[in-house]
Amino acid sequence: MVNIIEQEFPNELKYLQTHEWVRIQDNIATVGITDFAQHQLGDIVYVELPEIGITFDKGSNVAEIESVKAVGELVMPLSGKILEVNTDLADNPESVNSSPYGTGWMVKIEFSNKSEIDELLTVEAYKEIVEAEKE
Amino acid sequence: MDLITDLKKTPFYDIHVKLGARMVDFAGFNMPVQYESIIKEHETVRSKAGVFDVSHMGEFLLEGSEVIDFLQYIMINDLNLLEPSKGQYSCMCYENGTVVDDLVYYEEAIDRFRMIVNAGNIEKDFQWLNEHISGKDVKITNLSSKRCRLAFQGPKSDEYLQPLVDIDLSTIKRFFFAHCKLNGMPIFIARTGYTGERGFEISFDNEYAEKIWGELIKAGASPAGLGARDSLRLEATYSLYGHEINDSITPVEAGLFWLVKPKEGLEYIGKNVLIKQKTEGTDRTIVGLNLMDRGIIRDGFKISKNGNEIGYVTSGGYSPTLKKTIGLGLIKKQYKEEGTELEIEVRNKLLKGVVVPTPFYRNV
Repeated sequence: MVNIIEQEFPNELKYLQTHEWVRIQDNIATVGITDFAQHQLGDIVYVELPEIGITFDKGSNVAEIESVKAVGELVMPLSGKILEVNTDLADNPESVNSSPYGTGWMVKIEFSNKSEIDELLTVEAYKEIVEAEKE
Repeated sequence: MDLITDLKKTPFYDIHVKLGARMVDFAGFNMPVQYESIIKEHETVRSKAGVFDVSHMGEFLLEGSEVIDFLQYIMINDLNLLEPSKGQYSCMCYENGTVVDDLVYYEEAIDRFRMIVNAGNIEKDFQWLNEHISGKDVKITNLSSKRCRLAFQGPKSDEYLQPLVDIDLSTIKRFFFAHCKLNGMPIFIARTGYTGERGFEISFDNEYAEKIWGELIKAGASPAGLGARDSLRLEATYSLYGHEINDSITPVEAGLFWLVKPKEGLEYIGKNVLIKQKTEGTDRTIVGLNLMDRGIIRDGFKISKNGNEIGYVTSGGYSPTLKKTIGLGLIKKQYKEEGTELEIEVRNKLLKGVVVPTPFYRNV
């Protein structure tokens, strides 16, 4: 059983119900998957990241996250354009397990509709979702 | 987790939960897929030793003066190659050569055999066996829920286990077995396994479950889950029922042609089809696969060549030992040569693959 108490969800981040985290700085957002999500997937062995420059709508899946046993998605929290991808994950996909909010980040996006930020979850709201999924 | 409370539990269930294992439904049993990390558990089995709960598998005792005749008729391997204290891997097949189950049986005496079958096939096998007794002096007892089974696998398995048992383990050669005591508790122990490492499979009465698990862990072994069991067997290229073999794939197609024995003068179920396939070849065959592109292949993915579908992936995944993607595929025979390049469809994208020799890795 995944022990919720051992999992970290930084207060300064925003979250999605689909277990992505978002760090917003000016008009750029960094996105990755949460500690809960990496626990659920298990050992991550490959992350297929999108091409830089592609545009997408909020809710699109732009990456595939392969673990030994399963495959997960990376859902975009905001509409926008891919600015940068974490190319280090090609050689170190396990960073997603060991440092989901740090070296395990996946994409940086330039978002196009600032009002969408209000729809993101706070850490409290996200923790409730995790608790519910745990049961 | 309410959804899986109806699942069967092995005598080690409480231990798995206490260890924080992730539990999944496997063939109707609530089993640990991993304790902490599939990759770590895999590596531990390759470098030291791991202990797997395989109590979901079935265990039958076959007794009677005509057991050997019975097994010769129902199994494709040749019982004449067996001797007391030895086990044999085999398949039992339908008349069309496809597989009822793959299994191991051990000759305890000329009139007593112990058989270990796949978890998902216990009821089917028990019925199939009983339907074919047809008046012979054979009695089959299903011991599956009275006894439990552990696999103890890895290069250090002899070293860890020897101090616990009252038998010289070096006298048990590969595929042989013995009955002995582990700290006073009676066990059946066979030098067999499904990981590509040296090791043992043991079975014993449920009442000793907790004690024996504890002794093995204390001796140095780490718990390993079904996830590692699958990645280890894929590297070692052992067939998994429901993947490389099933009721629509024959052992010859699966590359197990060495199991199909002539048994001259004897009839056995599936013989005509299997001997013909072994002599003339089959239209499709299982091959080893590597990916040239990055990505992971999984069972069920389509395989094509120049846009034409030629087969599918039967098992695939990441190899922790080789640190790359490996797989097995059932493809048309004209593409089976090593080095043949083909395409594997991964969620609407075609990745480049290549046929490679198997096994990917074995250390036995």
